[in-house]
Amino acid sequence: MRVFAGLIALAFASVAHAQEEANPAEQSVSRKDHGEHVASERTASSTKLDDTSTKRAAFTVATYADDDHVTVFTPSISGVIENVLEGASLKGRYIVDVVSAASADVVSTASPRWSEIRHAGSLEAKYKPKNFGVTIAGSLSTEPDYFSFGVGSEMTLDLNDKNTTLAAGFGFGHDDVGRCGAENSPAGTPASCTSFGVFQRVVNRTSFNFGLTQLLGTATVGALVLDVGLDSGDQSKPYRYIPMFQTDVAHAAPLGASLAWVTANRLPERPLEQLPLSKRRVSITGRLAHRFDGSTLKLEERIYGDNWALFASTTDARWIFDAGKRVALWPHARFHAQSAVSFWKRAYVSGDAPGWDLPTFRTGDREMGPLWTTTAGGGMYFYLGSAAEPQKSRLTIQLDGIYTSFLDDLYLTSRSGAIGSISFEVEL
Amino acid sequence: MKLVFAITLFALAAACTHVAPYERGKLAHPTMNDEVSGPAAEHVYAVHEGATGGGSVAESGCGCN
Repeated sequence: MRVFAGLIALAFASVAHAQEEANPAEQSVSRKDHGEHVASERTASSTKLDDTSTKRAAFTVATYADDDHVTVFTPSISGVIENVLEGASLKGRYIVDVVSAASADVVSTASPRWSEIRHAGSLEAKYKPKNFGVTIAGSLSTEPDYFSFGVGSEMTLDLNDKNTTLAAGFGFGHDDVGRCGAENSPAGTPASCTSFGVFQRVVNRTSFNFGLTQLLGTATVGALVLDVGLDSGDQSKPYRYIPMFQTDVAHAAPLGASLAWVTANRLPERPLEQLPLSKRRVSITGRLAHRFDGSTLKLEERIYGDNWALFASTTDARWIFDAGKRVALWPHARFHAQSAVSFWKRAYVSGDAPGWDLPTFRTGDREMGPLWTTTAGGGMYFYLGSAAEPQKSRLTIQLDGIYTSFLDDLYLTSRSGAIGSISFEVEL
Repeated sequence: MKLVFAITLFALAAACTHVAPYERGKLAHPTMNDEVSGPAAEHVYAVHEGATGGGSVAESGCGCN
């Protein structure tokens, strides 16, 4: 209840302040006309909540493109109301993904280029008046053939004069997987989607996290986060068909075999992807931030493993240099490497008709195969606020190149892409 | 990777010096607490990497890959 009381107080204070700012002239006249009441009004107003909150808003446009013919355009808006004195904050974000794809996966299923729009929103409320805090959060994502929501809560506790912070959180996500496409539509009509009432797969995701943040000196802070999760449900993609081969052909399948080679050598049977119906996963993420004289170094390492036998390491580094009072710039590097899931095959083997004897689990999702990805780029802050407070508004520009090497796949051996973004953030 | 993890754990355990509130000027620098990567970049990483974790507890999924 204290959480809600704090948030309500924060919202009330913001609204009250906004109303005062909206009608200054009216208030002035009123006070002149009723001079005898001014003293009592002032007394009453002193009991009102002062608005000590800060409000920030940001608008971002990002775009991604790669040589597998995938492009994504992503505008987003976000806002934060924060009251440090009350220990309360409210964050919101709305994002749109406009995706266009004609990747090897799409071509290999003889599907036309497709476009799709995803809408996603999230809301997070935090209340931490003293050493104990609670955060509640929710998110929503919807596409024509996919609906997902997630809710979660996290508790934090400051110890040792706020040198140490412990955190524990719980999250639940629910996905409804549907199906769209030309094959669901009558001939000669535009592609349409099958109703969730006719075709629907449900995936539920449960996760727990435990965190420790520790001040390691007057300029260094470190954090460790343990995430444990359970996904249950059929995550198989209803569009992903898996080519099947005879044993000797499968063994001879070359790395990055072309669509023509696969078409010429595969068996007639082409089943849909089938993944195991549950996944247990665990990850440990370590973060380190250090402030030098004139720069900030941020490092992150995540180690991940799941019971599908995928093991991964992700390393991220960013070094932000102050370049005068109004500019900061940074290089950014990221490296990710992973092993394949236990049922991964470059080319799957099945028997002859009519039984086929298909492998129980089969996938064509490259992100489940062995790969490494490296990212390199950088970004800049331009602080646009007043001379006294230049950081009250800023323009952020980022550009990263991403190269992925697929180590045991059909169709592709590598993918090169780039993601760029421009963001404008202002304190209101 | 185990070595990196062990070093991180060691650093956290061994370097717990007490930092008084008045000594936290550098820790309060805006770039120390910024989430530099935007939502689009985080989403691209999530789609390109077969691993999750380290983010919000309330993330929603997507049919993105």
